[in-house]
Amino acid sequence: MSHEADLGLAPGILGHHFSSLARQNEAMRLGMWLFLATEILLFAGLFTGYAVYRFEFPEAFKECSRHLELTAGTVNTLVLITSSLTVALAIHYARSNRPKAAAVCLVLTLAFALAFLGIKAIEYTAHFHEKSLPGKYYAFEEVKVPGAAMFFSLYFLMTGLHGLHVVVGMSVLSWILWRTLQGRYNERYYTGLELGGLYWHLVDLVWIFLYPLLYLI
Amino acid sequence: MSESGPSGRPSQTLHPHRHDEHPHSAVPYYAVWIALVFFTALTYFTGKAHLGSWALPIALTIACTKSALVALIFMHLKDSSGTTRLVFGTSLVFVGLLLFFTVADVATRFTPATPAGAPFGTERSQPEGLLEHEMPE
Repeated sequence: MSHEADLGLAPGILGHHFSSLARQNEAMRLGMWLFLATEILLFAGLFTGYAVYRFEFPEAFKECSRHLELTAGTVNTLVLITSSLTVALAIHYARSNRPKAAAVCLVLTLAFALAFLGIKAIEYTAHFHEKSLPGKYYAFEEVKVPGAAMFFSLYFLMTGLHGLHVVVGMSVLSWILWRTLQGRYNERYYTGLELGGLYWHLVDLVWIFLYPLLYLI
Repeated sequence: MSESGPSGRPSQTLHPHRHDEHPHSAVPYYAVWIALVFFTALTYFTGKAHLGSWALPIALTIACTKSALVALIFMHLKDSSGTTRLVFGTSLVFVGLLLFFTVADVATRFTPATPAGAPFGTERSQPEGLLEHEMPE
């Protein structure tokens, strides 16, 4: 693939079916945004369910929300926002031909992601102890009104699906970290890293809505 | 952006400078981060103040502002091609349709229109004038 060598690219980057790197980059971005659109609609289904049940049981939702650990939710919001910054900086450094700085930013992002999951795990443990659990497993002593079990069903579904996305995002970013350390990304090609970053920002976007809707009713 | 020929041409004519001709800087990222922290504090304090019927619109406005910052700057939608923007915008339109019509349905149900055995919507939300007592809260 002298074609790629001429462009200053590592082998295996430019697909032979693309006439130019610019076209391949645009195709990759478009594909990623189409995937993100399906992710947005996936979460939108849950947000719609949330809207219906909050409309139906406003008092139960208010009371349940005030039994969540607000500090944990707020700290997690700041953690995710900062991890979004470090991902954006990783792309910036890769574009500036500074792969080591990019790798450091990705490691920081993974550390923030772990911190997020750790805090979430502490919260989940508390829910299991006080039995604020979904559906028929709900036996929370402090809130005994219709709709409370529904709040916690939605809470676990939404934060659970979001947590799953955090885990997937961590796997993707670990793979990209490995590729960064191999020197795959530079000013000419960084689209792979950029797409992984897009996925991570989506995880942040979803949490930006989950935080006020679950913790701050 | 057209480097059509096979190898043989000098490499400096080959690598295309993409849509971002302007030199990129990390300053906007830090600025967005500061704004996001500010809006998080704002939503925290307005949320804790329990502002009644204003609480939800305020919380959603702040969340939408934060999302716009993340999408435009962190996700580079500001500098993206029209196609990717169209994809994102279209998904938002469909989220709006889903939310609006579902909530509008639930919000306008009244007893005669609710089938027997429905999980909710049976004992509240009468349209004005149909029954004299107001719906609770």
